[in-house]
Amino acid sequence: MPPIPGSGLAKGLAVTLRTMTRKTVTAQYPDVQPELPPRTRGVIGLFEENCTVCMLCARECPDWCIYIDSHKETVPAAAPGGRERSRNVLDRFAIDFSLCMYCGICIEVCPFDALFWSPEFEYAETDIHELTHERDKLREWMWTVPAPPALDAAAEEPKEIAAARKAAEKLAAQQATEAATEAEATEAEASKAEPGEGEQ
Amino acid sequence: MTLAAAAPYGFLSPTGVEVSFLLVGLVTFAAALVTVTTKQLVHAALWLVVALGGLAVEYLLLTAEFIAWVQVLIYVGSVVVLLLFGLMLTKAPIGRSPDADSGNRWAALTVAVAAAATLVWVVVDAFRTQWIDLDAPQGTTAVTGAMLFQHWVLPFEALSVLLLAALVGAIVLSRKADAKADAKADAGTGGAESPADAAGPADKERQR
Amino acid sequence: MNDALDVALRLLVVFGVFLVLPLVIGQTEHKVMAHMQGRLGPMYAGGFHGWAQLVADGVKFAQKEDVVPAGADRRIFQLAPAVALLPYLLVLVAIPIGPGEGAVGEVVDAGLFFVLAVMGVGVLGSLMAGWASANKFSLLGGLRTAAQLLAYELPMLLAAASVAMAAGTVSLPGIVEAFEWWWLPWQIVGALVFFTAGLAELQRPPFDMPVADSEIIFGAYTEYTGLRFALFLLAEYAGIVVLCGLTTVLFLGGWQGPWGADGLGWVWTLLKTAVLAFVVIWLRVSYPRLREDQLQKLAWTTLVPLALAQIALTGIVKVAIQ
Repeated sequence: MPPIPGSGLAKGLAVTLRTMTRKTVTAQYPDVQPELPPRTRGVIGLFEENCTVCMLCARECPDWCIYIDSHKETVPAAAPGGRERSRNVLDRFAIDFSLCMYCGICIEVCPFDALFWSPEFEYAETDIHELTHERDKLREWMWTVPAPPALDAAAEEPKEIAAARKAAEKLAAQQATEAATEAEATEAEASKAEPGEGEQ
Repeated sequence: MTLAAAAPYGFLSPTGVEVSFLLVGLVTFAAALVTVTTKQLVHAALWLVVALGGLAVEYLLLTAEFIAWVQVLIYVGSVVVLLLFGLMLTKAPIGRSPDADSGNRWAALTVAVAAAATLVWVVVDAFRTQWIDLDAPQGTTAVTGAMLFQHWVLPFEALSVLLLAALVGAIVLSRKADAKADAKADAGTGGAESPADAAGPADKERQR
Repeated sequence: MNDALDVALRLLVVFGVFLVLPLVIGQTEHKVMAHMQGRLGPMYAGGFHGWAQLVADGVKFAQKEDVVPAGADRRIFQLAPAVALLPYLLVLVAIPIGPGEGAVGEVVDAGLFFVLAVMGVGVLGSLMAGWASANKFSLLGGLRTAAQLLAYELPMLLAAASVAMAAGTVSLPGIVEAFEWWWLPWQIVGALVFFTAGLAELQRPPFDMPVADSEIIFGAYTEYTGLRFALFLLAEYAGIVVLCGLTTVLFLGGWQGPWGADGLGWVWTLLKTAVLAFVVIWLRVSYPRLREDQLQKLAWTTLVPLALAQIALTGIVKVAIQ
């Protein structure tokens, strides 16, 4: 059956009228903070204690917006007669967020977990130079990094935990065998002593 | 004619309506003069609005309300819009157009003056010293309608037929021109068919 | 003296209505349009749901520089907004909102003709603006305005003539007086034609080809800034008030309603006008813009025949019931 002429027009009117009676989807942002998903890419935080100045992030950055300065320090030998070690010390770590395109490659590539996404996004500035965040500011963003979301119930155990658990189990097993041998020893001693007691 | 200055009505002690009638008449006349003398085409059309509007006000002052509004509706609302529409389609510049002058201006002036003189003579001769009593409305819609469709229904219908003829004529003229153009266009594409085939697809596209 | 005071008071009231109602409709449009699109619309100006948004807009417009393009025809350019706006003020004077002498600015004998004639003049403002701006988009807008006006004036007049025939008078209060409820089905086609043609004359979406912002910027108003631009916008909304009021008076029986036609007649008029204004906004939100050729086609091949058919029907019924 061909549609009644004008039914399309009525349908259009119905759609707008229905939408009007529904709740709006507007987010009243400055009054109401948005609920951001945990993996939101807001700003990049630097956990500088983990940074080894390997420069991988700066090299992989497509925008060249990461600036790193460092110098070498020699650490005296830990044990007498040992070798002196040299260590990289971070002098400057800065990300220019006016260039950054939030691709997250630096975070992916960091082998020591020194860079993290934070959902904070309200860091607009009136001067573009202010958008270059130095290491202290980047360190501050670390406090806003949420805890990683919990793993799926059926997920494989993370490697770190597996390794730690293995080590712990090993240790426990070792302690258990030690305890067992000790117990045997005391038992043997006790059995040696027992006849004596029986002799009494 | 000399009686006109005497009682009971006279132009020596004009009423407010008469004074304003005269003043509006002067404005209308001036606007009409500017309409035909200005060198800016669109200004001429807009001055025409003033002149036609002034005429409407004159009708109002004569308490012919219906005619006044019809004047505004037809002339200001439609005819001038049509005029402006036409002017916008031309290359009418902003500012003066030096070639917007006609060699026939003296002939036009003669015709205009002659027409005006004839009309004035006819009106004066017809009405002489008759006066309209403006205190009671004379040209209400009811009166106009009754006059038009009782006393003057035959001229009215004749005019309708004339307009209808004009309408049909316009359609016929435009259709004929269209048909000719179509025929020409057909012939043109027909003739161009073979070279178009020879030419690349780009040329074909352009011809479409 | 009392007469003069009376007239002055009436004009003052009409002027107040002229200033307030378009703003109310504008604000309603903001809000209704927003909610129809799942938004909230203005929320800040004035505190409560942004009720003062248009006042804020007015202040903003007043602060802006009034620019006249170097190549423009200065005087006509500056005169155009007034020509566009004033006719609607004049029309508002003649629209009756209640029974009796007290509820109309000024009784005009040939009210219907007066209203339609003066509304037609308003378009001259757009034409003047379009031509005097010395801008190709403005000129295109002006051309489209003129073409649209020429096309839609005819069905509008015919539809109005139909209702005048039915009532046997061209006086607006007279038409409402003669109204009966069964006129509604009798004149429904005329009402639709009148309302549609009126929308087109106001250049409201979906008939806003002359100001189609996505292709000719803002048509005839492209070069306008500040207060003069605001006047054009005000003219558009005053036009909505006038169109809705006229449709109410001509086709919906004005102050006549089921309860209390005597004391609260004006409430009925305002209510019907408001509903129609809502429909105007609703249509704007729902429909895409008609193309220029579709516009002309709609006017000449649909509205004009419909209006003529309505006149024929009106005539037949009128003769039959006499």
